[in-house]
Amino acid sequence: MAGPYKFSFKKMLPHLILMIYLLVILFPFLFVLFSSVKHNNNEIALNPFGIPKQLVFSNYVEAWVNAKISTYFVNSLYISTLSAAASILVASMFSFAVSRMRYTKLGFILSSCILIGMLIPNNALLLPIYLLVKKLHILNTHWALIIPYIANAIPFSVIILSAFMRSLPTEIEEAAVMDGLRAPGIFARIVVPLTVPAMVTVFIVNFLGNWNEFLLANYFLSNDELRTLPVGMVGFRDQYQMNYAQMSAGIVYSVVPVIVIYAILQEKIIEGVTAGSIKG
Amino acid sequence: MNKALRNPVTFFLFILPGFILMTMFFIYPIISAVYYSFTSWNGVSDHVKFIGLNNYTKALGDERFWISVTNNGLFIAFSIIIQVPMIVFFSLLIANVRSLKGLYKTAVFLPSIMSTAVIGILWGFIYEPNIGLLNSILKLFGVDTIYWLADEKYAMLSILITNAWQWTGFYIVMVLAAIISIPRELEEAAAIDGASGIQRAMRITLPLIRPIISVVIMLSIAGAMKAADIVIVMTKGGPAGSTDVMATYMIKYAITNFKYGYGNTVAVLIFVFTLVLTALYQWLIARRSERIKY
Repeated sequence: MAGPYKFSFKKMLPHLILMIYLLVILFPFLFVLFSSVKHNNNEIALNPFGIPKQLVFSNYVEAWVNAKISTYFVNSLYISTLSAAASILVASMFSFAVSRMRYTKLGFILSSCILIGMLIPNNALLLPIYLLVKKLHILNTHWALIIPYIANAIPFSVIILSAFMRSLPTEIEEAAVMDGLRAPGIFARIVVPLTVPAMVTVFIVNFLGNWNEFLLANYFLSNDELRTLPVGMVGFRDQYQMNYAQMSAGIVYSVVPVIVIYAILQEKIIEGVTAGSIKG
Repeated sequence: MNKALRNPVTFFLFILPGFILMTMFFIYPIISAVYYSFTSWNGVSDHVKFIGLNNYTKALGDERFWISVTNNGLFIAFSIIIQVPMIVFFSLLIANVRSLKGLYKTAVFLPSIMSTAVIGILWGFIYEPNIGLLNSILKLFGVDTIYWLADEKYAMLSILITNAWQWTGFYIVMVLAAIISIPRELEEAAAIDGASGIQRAMRITLPLIRPIISVVIMLSIAGAMKAADIVIVMTKGGPAGSTDVMATYMIKYAITNFKYGYGNTVAVLIFVFTLVLTALYQWLIARRSERIKY
């Protein structure tokens, strides 16, 4: 900051108000972080706001063992990644057909149907989907989550990807056809590579949605080893409800990976998540 | 040249996987829900008995169903009356500060990418009566112990506050993007004409961001109708069903009490209510806010 910097009250007031808002957002996380290095509930009660004099890290060891965090974490990671990737594959094929192939009317009708899919309150479909998953004999397996997750993400993915594909110039295909490529070749060699930026956004949004999903994961799986992180954490809380220090360590484990990913990818995440909701 | 891109078999094959999934997980479930909503099926037996509109009259006559509808209504009311003004206020503030804009944006957005289940656990700890953060703060001001989640008077409010804490920042970032896209010349011209900061906000920015506020309200309505996980994690609908929302009421009947048919009736009602609300809102309010182009 060069030159004389004047601290006027009028200039500082917005910052003051925003700092209070920031405190309200961030302090709960700090509260959990501080609590996670305290001995027990008693120590939290005596000194609720501050950092303890003596840091106790045993909570982290115990929470890791008791809460099976590593199992839940791996489950969540692979279910979310696989489903998000599969949604993108299915959705980009669909988007290519409706936006680039020469069936404009049919394409328009199909993409309108997809738009209606976004308006459906999908929690209301929990029971019929439960029945369907049961009939397919995949209840209590990871497929019971993976397949519905793939399907759930299709409307949003198609909307974003087809809008992006529509914006590509037609000349690229003309050149490809001259070179003798057919539709699948145009899709795989020309359109997909050009759509990668939009796919990254869509992938992040789908991944976060799957990572945080709770209802299906809670009701479609009953084996503890199959659980995902959100459901596993709730089970852990219900079991060790009296030991808040250990529970805080569990919360830290489940929050830190998200914060790290967010720190790296925040621009993409913000752009993707807000775009998704507006289109909906 | 069009031949390569006008092959019906290829078109069909590209559409197929998406079409199958959409049919299985959107179209079939809707039909299935409507079908079973007219039955007294328990979800397991081979025998499915049709009982006409009995489930519907039962739901519409059940006081606890209406409590859950009211709670969905409270979600909507809370976001429109309390969250929307806050969203507008804070996005205007962030848009007008010179420094730290990025920090504010990043920080306020953070809770919205976390899992609602974990947020529910975290806030459950904050609301804990004896050692929780909230009562510890209130104790400094001499307030007696409040049982936030176990007391019918406070339980719903506690959930609404948690929900607002998680989602307000998300909407702030959305509105902020709309404010930043307003051309600077408009503000500058007003400033030259002698308009104060508050006047500029009220007369120029606010009218121009009306469409995005309308979107925020639409999303809040959609979110409110979907709300379930936060309630399950924080109170399981208790104490005594006072915090149930339609979705948790539906789950309680269908999965816990084996009243699958009745659960589907509630699902259909959620559907109908959401459609009616969305249509009403679009028709009454959103229609009036025309698109703005610069």
